Amino acid sequence: MRRKNITAAIVIIVMAMIYGLITLQLPTRSLPDTPGPTFFPWINVVIILFLSVLLLLSSAFTKENGSQDTKRKDETQNNQNLRGLWAIIGFSIYLIILPNFGFLISTIPFFAFLMILFSEKRPLYILSNSIGITFLFYFVFRHGFNIFLPQGVLHDVVLRLIL
Amino acid sequence: MNPDIIIGLNQSVGLIVLLSTSIGVLIGLIVGMIPGLTISTGIIVFLPITFVLPPDVSIALLLGLYVGGMTGGSFSAVLLNIPGTPSASATAIDGYPMASSGNAGRALGIAITASFVGGIVSFLFLFLVAPILAEFALNFRTEDMFSIILFGMTIICSFSAGSLVKGLLSAAIGLAIVTVGQDPVMGTQRFTFGEVNLMAGVHFLTALIGLFAIPQLISHISDQTNLRAVTQSKIKSILPNISDLKIIKFPIILGSLIGSFLGTLPGAGGPIAAFISYDYAKKISKRPERFGKGTIEGVAAPESANNAVTGGALIPMMTLGIPGDPVTAILIGALIVHGLAPGPLMFLERADFAYGVIFSFFWANIFNFLIAILSLRVLVKVLDTPRSILMPSLAVLCVVGSFALRNNFFDVYIMLFFGLIGISMKWLEMPVVPLLLALVLGGQLEENLRVALTGSQGDISIFFTSPISLSFIILSIVSVIWSFRSNKKYKQITN
Repeated sequence: MRRKNITAAIVIIVMAMIYGLITLQLPTRSLPDTPGPTFFPWINVVIILFLSVLLLLSSAFTKENGSQDTKRKDETQNNQNLRGLWAIIGFSIYLIILPNFGFLISTIPFFAFLMILFSEKRPLYILSNSIGITFLFYFVFRHGFNIFLPQGVLHDVVLRLIL
Repeated sequence: MNPDIIIGLNQSVGLIVLLSTSIGVLIGLIVGMIPGLTISTGIIVFLPITFVLPPDVSIALLLGLYVGGMTGGSFSAVLLNIPGTPSASATAIDGYPMASSGNAGRALGIAITASFVGGIVSFLFLFLVAPILAEFALNFRTEDMFSIILFGMTIICSFSAGSLVKGLLSAAIGLAIVTVGQDPVMGTQRFTFGEVNLMAGVHFLTALIGLFAIPQLISHISDQTNLRAVTQSKIKSILPNISDLKIIKFPIILGSLIGSFLGTLPGAGGPIAAFISYDYAKKISKRPERFGKGTIEGVAAPESANNAVTGGALIPMMTLGIPGDPVTAILIGALIVHGLAPGPLMFLERADFAYGVIFSFFWANIFNFLIAILSLRVLVKVLDTPRSILMPSLAVLCVVGSFALRNNFFDVYIMLFFGLIGISMKWLEMPVVPLLLALVLGGQLEENLRVALTGSQGDISIFFTSPISLSFIILSIVSVIWSFRSNKKYKQITN
């Protein structure tokens, strides 16, 4: 935890400094003796810097109880985190292709991918659920709630290829 | 009688509104009982669907979800010994031993009945207190509003039990995020970097979906505890008998009163109210030695308290525009999306709507009792739903929800960005709720602070010379101290 806190404090200090630098460049439109647009951001800069320095110092002077058990637990945690990382990568790819391929075409493989990440191994089960649930969502939102989900620029082309 | 009360009552008994309330309750019961899915996440995921509905219908649905979620949490607490929501943690102490000894139906029946009584008591509290408080709040000026919002933000302390510095940092980051977009007083563009989509600022709901739902999804993928095939307990009779009702009479009344009162205080929330009620129920009980081994009083007291918190939390939300807990913070966002600003003016300008909300809360409690009792045996089957279907559906709903907000794909990217922030915060063990509160209240906090200081030409003594402002500053200090004390007590009881 100590290392995590120090990392967090350093990252936040850097971010606060960048935030402060941008605040410096903001236009200062204000009446005399009244707070302008930069007033509140400056309060934030001061608070964030103060608290992150406090976190840094308190973590730096705290001893960590790094037992063998904790280390073993950390290794298990790392393996679990890998699956989480795959999910984030999959999510990012899904959001990149979604505007181009449209909701139906992009969601089916994304849904199937997440099902596999959830240790689902039956191919027919994955296929039927990913297609069925995606279509269900599409029709519920499109026709039930009038929410026009992205069709994508390649939607028609891909549909013509499939059909 | 006040004509607005009649109009509000009529509004709440419209067929669509009642249907919406009951659907909300049903969804809430399901969301609440699934361990790991909080009521906040449930509301966030279903919120975008309500955008296309009229305000009264959508608020009725969300209130139903709120009330149902609180009760649903007790189902998994009793059957699995895993509280569906943090508020149901105390219920598991006696509920699970009861289920283990073949009394699952009895325990659930007690939990549902206690939730019902708690909800109705808090409805009465809300109905009687809210209009009086709103009328009083009409006299508030900007400096008073600043102090009230500051008081509302003291809820942060309750969610920073692990590390106060981290909790405050989380809130400060939230306050920095709300400065993106147009400045609320002069309209100057801040931190937009020329991006048109950022001119209106970061939409609070988009950020919320990312902050709450995405980390939850990732954590479920990372840690796949198999919870299937665990609902083997047979549920026999559900409704409590007369002798049971006699025993739980006092714990329920006690829990309802504690919950209704604590709900009004920012930061208290369901878990604290439930544990404090459990503790007091044990103290007044003639058989305290049976607590923890499966006694019905141990189920009744916390369940009545956590449902009573819902009505209590709606009081500061509706009258002052400050949330009593994270769920009411999201409800504020929902009302704002529908063009309704919660606060004292709501009772002046849209009193009919305000009473409609209060009565919808009443119906939500009635439906909660009926649906839970009638469909309990079917509902608990949801606990067997495979995560491999539930969680990918949640992921898709997050994307659809953030897109539907403004039909803009930029919001979906913002949602993912906040999702990554949420994951990082979880990894760093930083609480997310303070950030949520800062996102909800930050804009108003800045606006009231600057307008008050402009009026006083930069003299900060204005916050201490106004009696109302000074009272709320003192209350903020008391609330911080009280939060620490109750957190300490909560930890002692849970240990």
